[in-house]
Amino acid sequence: MIFFAILVAGLFSSLVVQEFIPPLAWLFGARVLIMPVIMFYGALALPSWGMLATAFISGFMWDALTVQPLESSVEISLGWSILLYAALGAIMSGFRPLFQRGRWEIHCLFSGLFTSVIVLAEYLMITIRRGGLIFPNEIWWKIGGAGIVAALLAPIFYFSLNWIASLVGYEINPEEKGIN
Amino acid sequence: MRRTNIVALVVFLIAVGIILALNPRNTIKVQSAFLGMISPFFRTGSSLQVRISTYRTALKSLGQLEQDNKILVTQNRELKTINQTLRDLEQENNRLRRAIGYEERSVFQLIPARIIARDSGSWWNTVKIDRGFDDGIDPDMPVLTEDGLVGKTTTVSKNVSTVLLIADENCKVAASVEGTREQGIVRGERTSTTSMPEISLNFLSKTADLKAGQKVYTSGVGGVYPSGVAIGVVKDFKVRELDGKATLIPSVDLTTLQDVFIVVGKK
Repeated sequence: MIFFAILVAGLFSSLVVQEFIPPLAWLFGARVLIMPVIMFYGALALPSWGMLATAFISGFMWDALTVQPLESSVEISLGWSILLYAALGAIMSGFRPLFQRGRWEIHCLFSGLFTSVIVLAEYLMITIRRGGLIFPNEIWWKIGGAGIVAALLAPIFYFSLNWIASLVGYEINPEEKGIN
Repeated sequence: MRRTNIVALVVFLIAVGIILALNPRNTIKVQSAFLGMISPFFRTGSSLQVRISTYRTALKSLGQLEQDNKILVTQNRELKTINQTLRDLEQENNRLRRAIGYEERSVFQLIPARIIARDSGSWWNTVKIDRGFDDGIDPDMPVLTEDGLVGKTTTVSKNVSTVLLIADENCKVAASVEGTREQGIVRGERTSTTSMPEISLNFLSKTADLKAGQKVYTSGVGGVYPSGVAIGVVKDFKVRELDGKATLIPSVDLTTLQDVFIVVGKK
């Protein structure tokens, strides 16, 4: 439970920190998104209920901060990110056996890929809502750029969180040990 | 599937169902409550960011100093650092003086605010300011600087509010072009070919003969924004199938914005 609490604190902190990181001008304004990386780590390190909990917390916080209220409605319903995060988290959970064997290179790449999927899904949502399906190069750079940055950051976070897990005595194998 | 997983999945689906079923009013309430909860972290983060940038500026001066004069390193370091700090203070002082001057000159009743965070989302152009309903802020209040229009408030919490910038596609402002009878709607572009956000003036007549450099102001139609506030200048004009569209350069540099004013009424 301690490690779960640490991950939740990490999700919250990353949400605040990424608000202060400016967009990357050389990547067509792509954003540095840290919270999804931690969420995907949670999907690998925690049992299924933990994955659902981290997806719920991340999606809820993200939507609560970004969903735009219009005159008498909201642009995108609060909570849709939770479903998206849970779906991607569930796919990530499928790679747990490899992760439990101490390998996480492929998972870092998937963190980047799935971060791009999140940004793409957001774009599709607002595009459908606002109309005019346009896909200029800048959009793809913005989507891909967020993923590339996330994939580059993932090893640092995976390494740090693995270290924290061992520090608090959490073993990433719920079938045998359960969550601490 | 283990029993705990089934229970977790059921609880998860119920919780998501409840959140998805929230009506817009309750969604805004939830957002406001969350913004209120997270605001101390934004405020702390913002002041920390200011401190770090001041420290970094001072360090940069030290580096230059080392190259310039190796003999008087220690003494010069101290003097340069102090000088740099004073220069930063002077710049801040000048900026605040200008802001206060504008507040006094303005015909509007203004509340000054500081930008404490920027949206980390890829598709939304919003900022967080350090004022909320405790300061008399409500949703849909115009936000501007001495240079022109910035946007409007959307989600308001106790002491932090979200400002939807004019560079956002959802921010629509009725506008008129200086020296013409042309009126249209200014809104942000979904994509930008540069690192700067782009805005455009839409629904102009096809015969509108707009020239680069012409100024665009709010027309006051719609009731949210007062009339006569500068929005930007015309960059180029294109005739489309049904209307004319002008690309604008915003009057306010939205990427480096630090201080803004919220219009709470007229004097």
